[in-house]
Amino acid sequence: MGTGLSRRAVLTMGAALLMTAACGTGSGGNGKIKVWHGYTDAEATAFGKLADRWNSAHPEQQVELVFNGGNDNVLQKTLASFASGNPPEIAYQYGSSITGLTGRPQTQDLTDLVKNDADFRWDDLFAAAREAATVDGKIYGIPALVDNLSLVYNKKLFDDAGLAHPTESWTWDDFRSAARKLTGDGRYGWAYVNDGTEDTVWRFLALLWQAGGDLLSGDGKKAAFASDAGRQAMQLLRDMAVTDKSVYLDAGDQQYLNLFNSGRVGMLWTGPWDLGVINGDVSYGVQILPGKVTHATIAGPDTFVVFGDNGRKNALPFLKWLLSAEVHLEFAMETGHLPIRQSEVELPKYAEYAEKYPGAKVFVENLEKNVTKSRPNIPQYPKISQVLGTAVQSVLLGQAEPQAALAQAAGEVDQALASS
Amino acid sequence: MTADRRKLADHAAGWGFAAPAVVLIGVFGLVPVVWSFVLSLQHTDLTSPGTFAGGDNYAKLAADPLFWDAARRTLVYVVLFVPVTLALALPVAVMLNQKIRGVVFYRLAVSVPLVTSTVATGIMFSWLANPQFGLVNAALDAVGLPKQGFFTDPNQALFAVVAMTVWGWLGFAVIIYLAALQNVPKDLIEASSLDGCGRAGSFWHVELPLVAPATGFLLVWLTINGLQLFDAVYVTTKGGPLRATTVLVYHLYNEAFVSFDGGYAAAIGCAVFVVIGAFTLVQLRFNRRTSHYEAR
Repeated sequence: MGTGLSRRAVLTMGAALLMTAACGTGSGGNGKIKVWHGYTDAEATAFGKLADRWNSAHPEQQVELVFNGGNDNVLQKTLASFASGNPPEIAYQYGSSITGLTGRPQTQDLTDLVKNDADFRWDDLFAAAREAATVDGKIYGIPALVDNLSLVYNKKLFDDAGLAHPTESWTWDDFRSAARKLTGDGRYGWAYVNDGTEDTVWRFLALLWQAGGDLLSGDGKKAAFASDAGRQAMQLLRDMAVTDKSVYLDAGDQQYLNLFNSGRVGMLWTGPWDLGVINGDVSYGVQILPGKVTHATIAGPDTFVVFGDNGRKNALPFLKWLLSAEVHLEFAMETGHLPIRQSEVELPKYAEYAEKYPGAKVFVENLEKNVTKSRPNIPQYPKISQVLGTAVQSVLLGQAEPQAALAQAAGEVDQALASS
Repeated sequence: MTADRRKLADHAAGWGFAAPAVVLIGVFGLVPVVWSFVLSLQHTDLTSPGTFAGGDNYAKLAADPLFWDAARRTLVYVVLFVPVTLALALPVAVMLNQKIRGVVFYRLAVSVPLVTSTVATGIMFSWLANPQFGLVNAALDAVGLPKQGFFTDPNQALFAVVAMTVWGWLGFAVIIYLAALQNVPKDLIEASSLDGCGRAGSFWHVELPLVAPATGFLLVWLTINGLQLFDAVYVTTKGGPLRATTVLVYHLYNEAFVSFDGGYAAAIGCAVFVVIGAFTLVQLRFNRRTSHYEAR
């Protein structure tokens, strides 16, 4: 009667049905919070410990930590999760990604939740962290991390070359001349990440601000970086990379840190995340960035962005707890992260932190004094970053003159700003 | 049971056996192709519902200088990558077809790149070709040649990618050629040598024509893969420096997942699809005409 056949057919159809069914299941609400994060090693351990503590105290709002495979592509992964209809409640995002998420129905505007909760103490958070989470005056993210750039230098290389260590009144000229004197014999004075990504751009922005320049005009409608300040910043890069050849140009594989560790690179402009990876036998110092008009630096804050109704209902208590001064200081103590609120610095335990991470002091002072400007949170920023990345790269590689590179980039940025 | 019903049952059984493959190819092959085409007619950021765009994305494509730059680079890449791989693979396959000591080891060694992931290959080549501290420049320096920028020099990066991918694909081409060479009947070679052919003559007049189908297959296969170049670029240069390695699919990636212009990216994808389809058709037709020889 052909029953064997039909059974086979049924089996196949069944398998196909199972496949479709498996694609359709999502996580049910009921207060469970899925958190995507990119922490590894010590950070992951510390974060996991905090989540466990939260979970044992809050059975009705369980937190599930999911490693996102690395933060570099998390914006893409988050958008893919929207498309599949199964986004996490909370996802760690780079600060520059936030405008890629606002305006999506999944992304939650948290303004009233945060502002109406006096216990949250929003204004106690460092300004750089708050600004990165705010778009058009609305709060779309909860600060997760706040970094900035300082000058990290190898003390031994300075001593060997008979150079005085960098001071907080160092000028660009002091910096350039030290880099030149450190260079030679397979060594470079400075390293610059030259892959044309935001990693290339933000160090240039610090230079631009130091020279007294701005990225965009006051109304945000035009490029303002093709100014005298912009030209000076580009010229410094050109003088050092092309004329002096005192800069190791990192192609994006982040070899600069290995080279710093092996005494091949004398100075870095980097953040606290690299301090934990510097070898124990390398004696390093931390100083604020050299200055022109100011000693401005740039913050690279990251945020937790909240998605969906369940996220709106249940994610905030956990994040609020995570960001409370005591809990965050504990996290900072284990990971070397910077404090994220002003009041953390005033806690008695902060002295212990400062002793454990001597390099952190400069970064914290930077947050209070030298983080004076921030990248604009506008949807065109990724495009602006792309254009500027190319301009900086072309100058570093000696392929373009500072003035011409800036003029061309400004034209493209104006066009991008006008067309949307 | 009538003959008709038996035939019908056979048909059903056939489809039953083929069904899993048909479903998989349909879901992961055909549906995305059709869907890409639909996307290419929309303005969409890939997550919120798109709006109908008609031919806008294709008009943008025609006027986008970045697209044409990427197309030109892709062409340069394919024109170098395919012939160089073929030209290296055949002699290597001929050598590995000899009865020599340790041939199994050499064959294994040649096919190792084939099973190495592109990511590992990319990281290894980035280290080797590091302009300041890489082994390649150390070797050049040792023999008095100037150091090169490789992946970091806009004028060299694309060629560095060619070199890296040739290395990665060589093992595959060698295996195909080796199989074809081993399929050449011994009596033909014997006959040619009786007719007065030397070793070179036998190779030119007997072996080379008989491996023509393998050459044809490799030409199509390598070209398709060359036109779709992405991962090797992503793990080494990220399309840089100064867009020097932004080939078509990398441009597509930038548009889709950096700028989130899904419709335009889909249009680029469709353009690549048409080029690959056209090339493959022409090549298959040409192959059928030239491959007179059947190796048994």
